[in-house]
Amino acid sequence: MRTYIGLVWAIARKDLLVEFRTLERLIAMGAFVVLIGILFNFSIDTTVVRPQDIAAGLIWMTIIFGGMLGMGRTFSLEEQDGALTGILQSPIPLDALYLGKVLGNFVLLSVMVALVFLVFGMFFGLTFAGSLVSLVGVVASGVLGFVALTTLFSAMATRSSMGEGLLPVLIFPLLVPVIVYGTTATNRLFAGRPFAEVDGNLRMLAAFAIGSTVVCAWLFRFVIEE
Amino acid sequence: MDQRWFRWTTVFVLGVLLLRAGPVWAQAGTALGSQTLGRGYWHVFAAYAVVWILVLGWVISIVRRLRRVEERLGNE
Amino acid sequence: MSEKQIRLAIGVLGALGVAIVIVLHWMVFFWVPTEATMGIVQRIFYIHVPAWWIAFLGFGIVALCSAAYLWLGDERLDRAAVAGAEAGMIFTTIGLLTGPLWGRVAWGTWWEWEPRLTLALILWFIYLGYFIVRRTAVNPEQGKRFAAVVGVIGVLDIPLIHVSVTWLRSLHPEAVILNPDGLAMDLDASMGATISVGLLAFSLVFASLFLARYTVAGYEHELNLRDAAPGGIQRAEA
Repeated sequence: MRTYIGLVWAIARKDLLVEFRTLERLIAMGAFVVLIGILFNFSIDTTVVRPQDIAAGLIWMTIIFGGMLGMGRTFSLEEQDGALTGILQSPIPLDALYLGKVLGNFVLLSVMVALVFLVFGMFFGLTFAGSLVSLVGVVASGVLGFVALTTLFSAMATRSSMGEGLLPVLIFPLLVPVIVYGTTATNRLFAGRPFAEVDGNLRMLAAFAIGSTVVCAWLFRFVIEE
Repeated sequence: MDQRWFRWTTVFVLGVLLLRAGPVWAQAGTALGSQTLGRGYWHVFAAYAVVWILVLGWVISIVRRLRRVEERLGNE
Repeated sequence: MSEKQIRLAIGVLGALGVAIVIVLHWMVFFWVPTEATMGIVQRIFYIHVPAWWIAFLGFGIVALCSAAYLWLGDERLDRAAVAGAEAGMIFTTIGLLTGPLWGRVAWGTWWEWEPRLTLALILWFIYLGYFIVRRTAVNPEQGKRFAAVVGVIGVLDIPLIHVSVTWLRSLHPEAVILNPDGLAMDLDASMGATISVGLLAFSLVFASLFLARYTVAGYEHELNLRDAAPGGIQRAEA
């Protein structure tokens, strides 16, 4: 068991080391998040609608789009160098490889999400310090569900002639529960509602995250094998 | 061959549509008045046309695949 | 079953299906009385409901055969899954197009974010993804597995999607809308009979075309095995 966790961590650590050295995906995602925040700001007519009222939806859409920008390239490095063949020939279990990739992606996306909340909080004057813990729970479980699906499908996308263009078609329909529960919960927390009102959402998001991680970990072998 | 078949299907579908129109129209006048019943004739016909077109389209696609397979067999 | 038997089955089921489809048209347009509140458009139900039955049957076949294909790797399961997916796509499209034609008159809008409609639209896109990964995979053998993975994840996600959109809908209740189940209350015996005939007709047509598509997929597979060089194939029409 300890060695299994060690393997997962080794994969995640390798990905994160490469990423923090090159910063390729983080810069792409970070720039996207800030710029989209600026564009959203210009796209809202404040005489018609209050930015706070639609901020939750915008934040989740930004997380999904920005996340896809980074997640779509999960396997591109390995595919280019032919390193995937090496990893596949090593005795590492394929679900450990998948979980390592999910962990790495989750950490990267968490950095991006923190930036999203910082930027949108400033741009739209949001106050969420009071419900920070519940907000972290909601967003973390939503993001984990998103990462679990996207990691699996990005492996598919690197082996498709459509490339990353494949991701939205495959993922958006499946993400409906994340968007529904994530956005409503975030909206309520922004409005200062008590935790009891988002309790159910949090449970559904957590169930979705755990369920999709387990199922995708099992299905990953069928996607990655030659 | 393909074209003639398509033409006859079209004639058949149009014929069925025309035949139907009569009696349905007659019922509308007699029942609850045309306030609610007068609407939506073309909706009904469009709906049935959609079914016909899509199912026939699937049939045609299957036949074409079969032809292509037979063609390839013939080449060998 | 031998090839001959399958061809016979396709023919018999198809002929029976077409015959009952003709009976259905006669029943719908000449025999069944017009429903009192909705009027003529209610006749769309006699194809709309059977279309959804086939759409979900197709999706069930895709899910079961995809999971079994991943498990066992038998080519025949993949062929059945494809045939089911094509049927599902066709009949989901029928359902999505005929529904609004009815809704425009009965609800007054072409589209309503009602849970069932929402689910249907998402189901259509899951089917779309199924075909896209199949077509665009660099390695066709991988494409089959990719499609099967999409099928399995799709069917597992569908209940969650349904629960979530139903829950979202319950947040903002709107004017009561007529839904297909609500009809059951004043469903006349002759209407019930017509719906049943519709279900039978669609099922027979589906069975025949499903078998045909499955058989053709088998031929294609055999040919692909024989000549691995796909460059030499000329289209019949070209």
